[in-house]
Amino acid sequence: MTTTLPTPPAPAPGPAPVAAPSSTRRPRGDIGRRDRNWIVSLVVLAVAEIAYFSFSVSGFFGGGSGLLALTEQFVDIGTIALGLAVVVLAGEIDLSVGTMSSFSGIFMAVLWQSDHLDIWIAVVVALVASSLIGLANGLIITLFKVDSLLVTLAMQFILGSVATALSGASPPYGFPTSFVRIAGTGTIGPVPYQLIVFAVLAVGIGLFVSRSRTGRAVTLIGYNRPAARWSGIRVDRTVVGAFMVSAFMAAVSGILVSGYYNAARDDLGDSLLLPAVTIVVLGGVDIFGGRGRIGGVIVATFVLGYLTEGLLLRGDSSLTATMVTGILLIACLILKFQIDRRNGDDPFAVLRARLARVGRSHGRADL
Amino acid sequence: MVGLVGPGPDTTATTTATTTEDPGDGRDARQPRGSRYVASHVTKAFNGAEVLHDVSIVLEPGSVHSLLGENGAGKSTLFKIMSGLYEPDAGELVLGDERLHGLTPRSALQQGIYLVPQEPTLMAHLSAAENLYVGALPRHGRTRLVDWKRIGRESVSYFTRVGLDIDIETPARNLSIAQQQLLECARALVHNCQVILFDEPTSPLTPHEVDVLFELVDGLRSDGLALGFISHRLDEVISISDQVTVLRDGRFVMNAPRGGYTRDELVTAMIGRPIGVRTRVRRSSDVTDRREILRVEDLAAPPTFTDISFTLRKHEVTGLAGLVGSGRTEIAEAIFGLRKADRGKVVLDGVPLTHRTPRECIDAGLIYLPEDRARNGIFGEVDIGRNVTAGIIPHLPRRWHLIRTDRETLLAAGATARTAVHMQALGSSINTLSGGNQQRAMISRWLLAEPKVAIFDEPTRGVDVGAKDDIYDIVADLATSGLACLVISSDLEELTLICDRVLVIYEGRIVGEVEGDDVTTARLGQLVVEGAM
Repeated sequence: MTTTLPTPPAPAPGPAPVAAPSSTRRPRGDIGRRDRNWIVSLVVLAVAEIAYFSFSVSGFFGGGSGLLALTEQFVDIGTIALGLAVVVLAGEIDLSVGTMSSFSGIFMAVLWQSDHLDIWIAVVVALVASSLIGLANGLIITLFKVDSLLVTLAMQFILGSVATALSGASPPYGFPTSFVRIAGTGTIGPVPYQLIVFAVLAVGIGLFVSRSRTGRAVTLIGYNRPAARWSGIRVDRTVVGAFMVSAFMAAVSGILVSGYYNAARDDLGDSLLLPAVTIVVLGGVDIFGGRGRIGGVIVATFVLGYLTEGLLLRGDSSLTATMVTGILLIACLILKFQIDRRNGDDPFAVLRARLARVGRSHGRADL
Repeated sequence: MVGLVGPGPDTTATTTATTTEDPGDGRDARQPRGSRYVASHVTKAFNGAEVLHDVSIVLEPGSVHSLLGENGAGKSTLFKIMSGLYEPDAGELVLGDERLHGLTPRSALQQGIYLVPQEPTLMAHLSAAENLYVGALPRHGRTRLVDWKRIGRESVSYFTRVGLDIDIETPARNLSIAQQQLLECARALVHNCQVILFDEPTSPLTPHEVDVLFELVDGLRSDGLALGFISHRLDEVISISDQVTVLRDGRFVMNAPRGGYTRDELVTAMIGRPIGVRTRVRRSSDVTDRREILRVEDLAAPPTFTDISFTLRKHEVTGLAGLVGSGRTEIAEAIFGLRKADRGKVVLDGVPLTHRTPRECIDAGLIYLPEDRARNGIFGEVDIGRNVTAGIIPHLPRRWHLIRTDRETLLAAGATARTAVHMQALGSSINTLSGGNQQRAMISRWLLAEPKVAIFDEPTRGVDVGAKDDIYDIVADLATSGLACLVISSDLEELTLICDRVLVIYEGRIVGEVEGDDVTTARLGQLVVEGAM
């Protein structure tokens, strides 16, 4: 095989000469196929589940509008999962998303009630404040090289306490109608506003991950962090950005929760974390970063959401639903590890490589 | 050479062929040493692409059997199958009289089969001694607690035997790649293996370290072990092997015992065509534009390196020679902004790079091909296309802030065509490429950044003869097209072949600069080892 290296490098990064036609095809390789198969399985699962509950639980299907109405119960969790997925794709984890959601809802409500801010201005302020907390998360993790699991775990407790303290003995309730309609229980025809908000956010995050420069950097960092540094990707900056996205999405979810209950809730934070993590893993996002698609996370939102709602409507307690969610999370992790192993990559080797990465990074100056 | 079986000479038990040493977890019923290990009619495909087709190999006890072949010929895959990392699609493995079914890395180890991998896989945070005993920690007879005293005592002797002169408490992350490789060999001894497979152990090693390793291999051979060996260095293979098997494109080509082949026959069998003897690449001297393009002034980060000053000129290939650990790589990393320097200046084409980060360097026209490709270069699971464009993410064509993937694909296709990456499709993951082709893909990544200066850190490590020549040609072509190239290499012959000028680093300082016809292996070798003429 001879090398063909013509003349100086081309002057501009315009379209370079096209190679053999075969190489311009863009099948995503075996991994792409695996991800697609996973998502297709999820869709099948969702359909089967909806069919099952529609026949066995009265009021579940409700002529189609029941199904749509049920989405109000879980798109807030899906919103959290979308943001969390970005952090997980970057190879980190954010456990503060649950109480971040509570915090933003309470903070908004308090600004509106005690400080007499317009409700929409309060929403914007809460979103900005939460994003800044995400910024703090990211800065602590990247500047001091502390494990994101621990930092965000601590932040979860901090935010939970702050939310409870802010809400006081009687949390604010009774928001203006315009707010309750759009962020809460309003509908356009049979379609809840919340579902529309979720759809917009889902498309946004999807495009962010697959088509934006930062999103590309996020996935490459998740696949191989040292290689990302060597390629000139600003790793720390990107990771901080991922934590801000995650915090922002959690904050949006808190607004949605407040709107839905027409009251600020400081007691929901912890119960949002587990389903959000489960959705991300169920959606096919590699818990070690890199691989995964937002499409999977969106489908997984509905799979887990309808499963939970089906169980609750059938008369099972919320404890059962939580337990099922936990079992599902473990089952997903095991299944994914098995699939990866059969395909030749050993997840434990990945784990070891990550540990080695952490170890070796100590020896190098960081950016 | 001392006997290589069992623990060190300071232990009480005199080891015999069937060892009495219990590694501590009940696996004491070991087979006697010296079974022959046969892989017959092995076939393996990844995602439909056949990488091995009906290949057989016999490892006899007390002999070294080498596998030769170009990158992607299937050598590593065969060894990985023989050590349980991959499952063969067809064919069988027979150790002694026993057929091995569903071999896993763990059961392979229990059978006494050890693979010394191409890239060492040590636990970075654990000490050298702990790494040595991972999976076989010796324990006290009754309490079953880990016998740290014995570990401390014996690991020293294992290390001595493989030629490792280190403190046993050193964390693995502080060991050089060469040292990690030797530690892997020591691990095979600890596990008391009867079959040891070496997957290119010598490519990151210095000549001295290779000598140490070969002495070790000799000893293992006389102890009756069955040894498999992969190397790209023909001379090494010829000197150490009792048997040579050549693979090409996943198929068996030839097998011959020592003396039953000539060097030329091996080369022809490997690449399917005769190869010419490399002569030194001389670029035409009528190039007048030898403008200085990179100036490094007094770069220092004691104690790793100090007083580093040099310039790189257009159209010129400059070598950076030095032993592993002399600071070569660290200097290059500091120039590229991956490592902080305490002082010093880097000026690229008249523009000082003060707060250097890789991004700033790349945008200014300085690129760096890392030594450890698997760790710092490629995104293994990612498709070739996105691997190639990873260096220019901020400059990818966009519309409404979204990357235009169609244009991106064209860019990647053009870049890979220029370095002749041999691949099925841009969309397949880069892991499906052989080492040489991965290196080409890395070079195409950097061509997209339109570099003025290119740093190559061990560009041909883990790359076979044929692909090596191609990489030399790429370096030469880049220089001809006006780049200044800096090539870091342990392979002195390589430096004499491609460099116009070589800087020699010794203990963190530039101790010499040789130019033109003075660039010879003898001259470089002396400088590298002794730091002076």
